[in-house]
Amino acid sequence: MFPYLIRKLFRDFQGEILALPTRTIVFLACIGLLILPLFTKNPYLLRVLTLTGIFAIYAASWDLLAGITGQVSFGHALFFGVAAYTSALLNLHLGLPPVLTIPLGALAAVVAGLVLGLPGLRLKGPYFSLASLALPTIMMGLVFTFPQFTGGELGISGITRLSTSRIGEYYIILIMTMGLALAMWKMATSKTGLIFHAIREDEIAVRASGLNTSRYKMLAFCTSGLFAGLAGGLYAHFMRVVGPSTLEIVMSLQIVVWTIFGGIATIYGPIIGVFILFPMMEYLRVVAELRMLIFAAIVVITLRLMPEGLTTWVQDLLERECPRCKERNAFTRANCRVCGTGLDPGPNTNIWKRGA
Amino acid sequence: MKMFRRYKTLAVITILVLMVSLGLAGCGGKQEAQAPKEQAPLKGDPIKVAIIGPMTFIHGEHMWKSATMAMEEINAAGGVKVGNQSRPVEIVKVDTNEMTNIPDAATAVERVANSVDFFLGGFRTEAVLGMQDVIMDYKKVFISTGVGHPNLTKKVKDNYDRYKYYFRTNPMNSNDMARASFLILAEVASVVKTDLGIEKPKVAIMAESAVWTDPIVAASQQQIPAMGMEVAGVWRPSAVATDVTAELSAIRASGAHIILTFMSGPVGGVFARQYEELKIPAAATGINVDAQGGKFWQVTGGKGNYVSTLNLLGRAALSPKAIPFYDKFVARYGEIPVYTAATYDALYMLVEAIERAGSIDADAVVKELEKTDYAAIGGRLVFTENHDVTWGPKHVTGLGTQWSEGKLNVFWPNGWEGIKHEGTARFVLPPWMIEHWKK
Amino acid sequence: MWEQILVNGLISGGKYALLAMGFALIYGVARIMNLSHTAYYMLAAYLIYYLNQSLAVPLPLAYLLAILVVLVIGVTTYHYLVAPVREQFTAVLIVTLVMAIVVQEIIFIFFGGHFRSLPPLIPGTTTLAGIKITYQHLLTLATVLVTLTGIWLLLFKTRLGIAIRAMAMDREVANLMGMPESRIALVTVAISVGLAAISGAMVAPLLILDPLMWMHPLVVVMAAVILGGLGSIKGSILGAFILAFAEIMLVFTLPKLAYLRGSVSMAVMLAVLLIRPEGLFGIFMEGER
Repeated sequence: MFPYLIRKLFRDFQGEILALPTRTIVFLACIGLLILPLFTKNPYLLRVLTLTGIFAIYAASWDLLAGITGQVSFGHALFFGVAAYTSALLNLHLGLPPVLTIPLGALAAVVAGLVLGLPGLRLKGPYFSLASLALPTIMMGLVFTFPQFTGGELGISGITRLSTSRIGEYYIILIMTMGLALAMWKMATSKTGLIFHAIREDEIAVRASGLNTSRYKMLAFCTSGLFAGLAGGLYAHFMRVVGPSTLEIVMSLQIVVWTIFGGIATIYGPIIGVFILFPMMEYLRVVAELRMLIFAAIVVITLRLMPEGLTTWVQDLLERECPRCKERNAFTRANCRVCGTGLDPGPNTNIWKRGA
Repeated sequence: MKMFRRYKTLAVITILVLMVSLGLAGCGGKQEAQAPKEQAPLKGDPIKVAIIGPMTFIHGEHMWKSATMAMEEINAAGGVKVGNQSRPVEIVKVDTNEMTNIPDAATAVERVANSVDFFLGGFRTEAVLGMQDVIMDYKKVFISTGVGHPNLTKKVKDNYDRYKYYFRTNPMNSNDMARASFLILAEVASVVKTDLGIEKPKVAIMAESAVWTDPIVAASQQQIPAMGMEVAGVWRPSAVATDVTAELSAIRASGAHIILTFMSGPVGGVFARQYEELKIPAAATGINVDAQGGKFWQVTGGKGNYVSTLNLLGRAALSPKAIPFYDKFVARYGEIPVYTAATYDALYMLVEAIERAGSIDADAVVKELEKTDYAAIGGRLVFTENHDVTWGPKHVTGLGTQWSEGKLNVFWPNGWEGIKHEGTARFVLPPWMIEHWKK
Repeated sequence: MWEQILVNGLISGGKYALLAMGFALIYGVARIMNLSHTAYYMLAAYLIYYLNQSLAVPLPLAYLLAILVVLVIGVTTYHYLVAPVREQFTAVLIVTLVMAIVVQEIIFIFFGGHFRSLPPLIPGTTTLAGIKITYQHLLTLATVLVTLTGIWLLLFKTRLGIAIRAMAMDREVANLMGMPESRIALVTVAISVGLAAISGAMVAPLLILDPLMWMHPLVVVMAAVILGGLGSIKGSILGAFILAFAEIMLVFTLPKLAYLRGSVSMAVMLAVLLIRPEGLFGIFMEGER
């Protein structure tokens, strides 16, 4: 039994990961991040990577809603903020440990997902995008109306630490990030995910196929809220201060930048986007005054060259799609590894290619 | 044709990249030029002090400018005597970007946490709460010079072992600020009573919506009737409101004689400007952080005459150091120092404590800092048991300052507890107010 | 109190309307959600400041120059950065957002985060229906009326206007009828950026300038446009006034809650949309993608 499992695991590893260059890269990167503390214990570096992990979950959760399901929300900070505040309040007033407050905060974000779903079901396209801006702003109004409860502009402080050491925090959040990313990716590629994709492409056609699109959209809002909420709860316990900045418009808009940079509607795109852009912003501190400008230039130039996002571009560069069975293959192969069909040999990516 | 278009795109991008790298080069050069020059003659490793604040905003800038002045003076006078060697002070600029991005602030602090010995600064409360925790994790001394919230120092009492490294030298906490602003209100009210013959002035309270103003507004509503005046109403605009015309029109309609402001955000500048433009017939006083100095006169485009505020620095002899510092700052930077310029004092106090302790070990320095009794530019500074500023007649009191044609005059304390600094002038009512109420 | 609300609401609504109109126009015609719209407004204000305060250019000339410069910058960036990715909703979002950030950062570098202000074009105040207001406020209101009339004349009385409206109604059919789609889009961008610049110029002396001043109006403008219905110019103007009056009403009736301005206008927008998902005058673009 046991040797069989190991063999199966090894075969899966060979067939699912090593067969594709991009997955190999991601796998190596994960290993690299996991063994990083062996080489450096620099708390600043670990802090940056920990925050990166939190924002990666947050960005991927936006992608699940906006990229996969096509509900481009500009109010995603609602989930993040609601969960962060809920976790903080539960921790501070009821003394619950992070193990409980983070899931409960995420649950609150799920409820927020239901609230956002209300306009989400009724409004279409850009109407929904712009209307969703309203919810974090209204929430912010509530924060300022009940300062005795929320701490107003001061926020809530004195929250329990996730772990007593920086390395502990790093591992908790890194493993959470990997686990949640895998969960989101699995969901996006599952049958439900397929329906999400279909809703984005043509909602009426999906409805005509006899599926209850309202229910699926609600599901998308709630799961996206759940994941964003987990990120919010982790943020609360990591930063130990939760304030109105978690609801600010910047919070909703920066994930849009990260996600589109990385490659929208992929789940891994936003995660890789955050893991590139967020540490880069930190590195650019050496030129404090110019860092936003350089950041902007890099994003614009990248998008100009790779309109579909970074990951999609790299994937097109390193992999070929089999014309018959749609399975992906490494660029080195002449024939599809599944069905043996001949693959188009020429370079299939022209970096000057304009949008699809 | 297609080739040509490709070339064009490439060219545009190349130019963009070139521009950015040129900018980079220019910036790199500038930063090196800022390195302290007084270091050469001194021996020993420099004591590194991080100045943390929003460096593109006036409050962060004045922290840096005043700390630069203090550093140059200290190094010119032979540096810091630690044991038997003289070590120079080196200040490190840390832009926390706290006005736009909160997680950024704590990260910026952690980035330098291992390479510096002490921290001074901090401005936005939400950000300082985060930075405080990070610095306490590193067990380093943090003297905050920009936030007034009582919760920050309350932690010192509640959890002394963890938070004992936190001190506040400036400003006084917001409860004391409220006390001082009522005293200033009383002064303004007496002028209104005697000059205009109004028995029971009406006071409009205009406070930005913020946690620090909530208890003050509640207290004002009780205090004002007790002081023999009447509350005309309470207006709570947002701290970042860009237009308060509607609020001001409503205040005019309420028949108020005095507007008691509590503002720390940009709304203060907006208020001052629209107040003069609309010629609201009421005297403006209270707390208006924007009007405490800096570029206020330019910000309001020369509007903002007669606006008054509680201030912490001013051209008054609060201590022997106060007027020389004020003049030197104005001469050097062409700006009136805002309250965060008291970072100047913080650096001096830190150096004194280090010299007394004879080491830069944080615990030893904390012990000495607690004994501080220092004649600061804002008044005599002694720490409370919370490591907070002691407020009172013989300590830091604050000042009442009023704008008049680009100058900031001191009008309070004017005989309160027998204190009257040289050069104190009487509060002046705006002419349009006199005209409005005299008929 | 009602006359107070009326006058203040008109002034505040006028400011929003100028901005909302440009935003609505470019969305209606070119389907570009231009998140840098209010950044142009800020840029115009700062340029006037720079020209007038640093180079001592007389104010009226500074206004003109600033509007021209912003127009050129807006059209150039559109041509090189936005037009190539126009067909992708998300790419347009990010490019325009990043452009706004670039403007903000450039202003940070040259001017710092300090608050600044401009002298009014015509100083002084007057009394209107018993309420004191500044001449600059009146001037803004007049500009709104003049600009609105101008845009109306352009849209309804000229060939170009007919083309623009046709494009706003149905891009594909208009294109089939032989209207040069991309050229009309470019002209519309120019008009829209021009409107942003004009409102920046008019409003600048009423406000305090700071590098983050583009964010709040952007949210309000988007709310106003969506409230009025995407693609409808008159809808966007009406939306702007509705939001402005909602805010002013709040300030006058519940002064203690004046800080909830933003939240209240957002709630109004949401409520209207829940009842009428296509906004007040919007058309459902079911077939479009």
